[in-house]
Amino acid sequence: MKYLSYLIPMLTVLTCYLVFAVVPPAEGLGELVRIAFFHIPLAWLSVLAFLMSAWWSAAYLRSGSMRQDALSACSAKLGFFAVLLATVSGAMFSKLTWGSYWNWDPRQTTIFVLILIYGAYLTLRAALPNPRKRARTSAVYSLFSCLTVPFLVFIIPRLYFSLHPTPVLNGDGHVDMEPVMLATLLLALLDATLVYVWLLFHAVAKEDPHEP
Amino acid sequence: MQSSIFHGIKLVFRKEFLAGMRCKAAWAAIFMFALTTLSCVSLALQGAVLEPKLQAALFWMVLFFSSMTGMDRCFAEEEMSGTFLPLRLYGAAQAVLFGKMLYSFFLLLVLALFISILFFILLDVGSVSLPEFLAVALAGVLGLSGAGTFLAALTTGAGVKSGLFSVLMLPVILPVFLPAIFLTGRVFGGDSMPFSHLGGMLLYDLLLMVGGSVLFDYFWYEE
Repeated sequence: MKYLSYLIPMLTVLTCYLVFAVVPPAEGLGELVRIAFFHIPLAWLSVLAFLMSAWWSAAYLRSGSMRQDALSACSAKLGFFAVLLATVSGAMFSKLTWGSYWNWDPRQTTIFVLILIYGAYLTLRAALPNPRKRARTSAVYSLFSCLTVPFLVFIIPRLYFSLHPTPVLNGDGHVDMEPVMLATLLLALLDATLVYVWLLFHAVAKEDPHEP
Repeated sequence: MQSSIFHGIKLVFRKEFLAGMRCKAAWAAIFMFALTTLSCVSLALQGAVLEPKLQAALFWMVLFFSSMTGMDRCFAEEEMSGTFLPLRLYGAAQAVLFGKMLYSFFLLLVLALFISILFFILLDVGSVSLPEFLAVALAGVLGLSGAGTFLAALTTGAGVKSGLFSVLMLPVILPVFLPAIFLTGRVFGGDSMPFSHLGGMLLYDLLLMVGGSVLFDYFWYEE
């Protein structure tokens, strides 16, 4: 963790330098492509934090350890923060490229459902005063809400038309991006993941592990 | 063992049904909510005809919010009347869950029938394929009762009751809600219904019930 405290600022500065000074304007998107280097890592974090929160929820139900519950809750809080930032950056990108902030694009719908799930999970936790009951009930809800994942990934994109650019790794399995852009994006993803890991374990270490 | 679970489900359903019949106010509140909402919409429209898509969205919204007014009570009432702990001590988790789910399904089925009749009259819905409409309504009601019963259990013991159930319910039920609106829109518009979507809805309903059943044990048998 100590090394991460030094590595993260260096990586963040390097990523910002690459995004603003090295990456060339993209064909069709121009300078707006730079928003993607913040938006994509934030969207990645939203999903990663959601899945990790569910993972620690399952671990809590197996072991009953309050540390697992704290990890699940902190992951959800970080995920909620990331999903809000991803939504704002995505809406800005949408307004600048397609002329409206929101048009219920399949990916906007997916991210909206994620906001609702995070919001519901955190509201449920806030509404339950007993720590043990809170941990158990929210763990069960976290896993139950995971049932929506196949729908978000497979059904929603077939129901609605999308203006969203194709994913970095497209349907044919090809990477449709310039090498310098891809390298910058991968660095940004690594940086965001390390920030998530650092913040998560930093927040959990502050909490008393012996709390009932 | 199998027969004892079915017997348990039957007993819980019977208990819920008798309790519901005794407390008619709960039923009245749900049905009056549906009537009030639909009549408000009809009054506001003053006979204007809506597009099939809008009609479908309105139908499912009225059904969803009407069901929210009554479904959260299935475990909250046990808590209020002090029967939650005895039920937990003597009732098997799966029998309680599926017994209450069956009752919720029955309640929502009657509610859906009530709303459909009113909706067709007040909003002047054209001729529709009844079997297709019924199939979508049944799949939607199945999902609502499956998820609703499970989530109603999770809200027991919560400090804030009002609104919590809807907050928990909406993200989980959206996979039923969105295809249901899509398919009902097609039925109201007289278009053919893609059965793959209906299959997807039923599959998700099944997923909700199986997932709920597996997770309910963790909730019910607290150490």
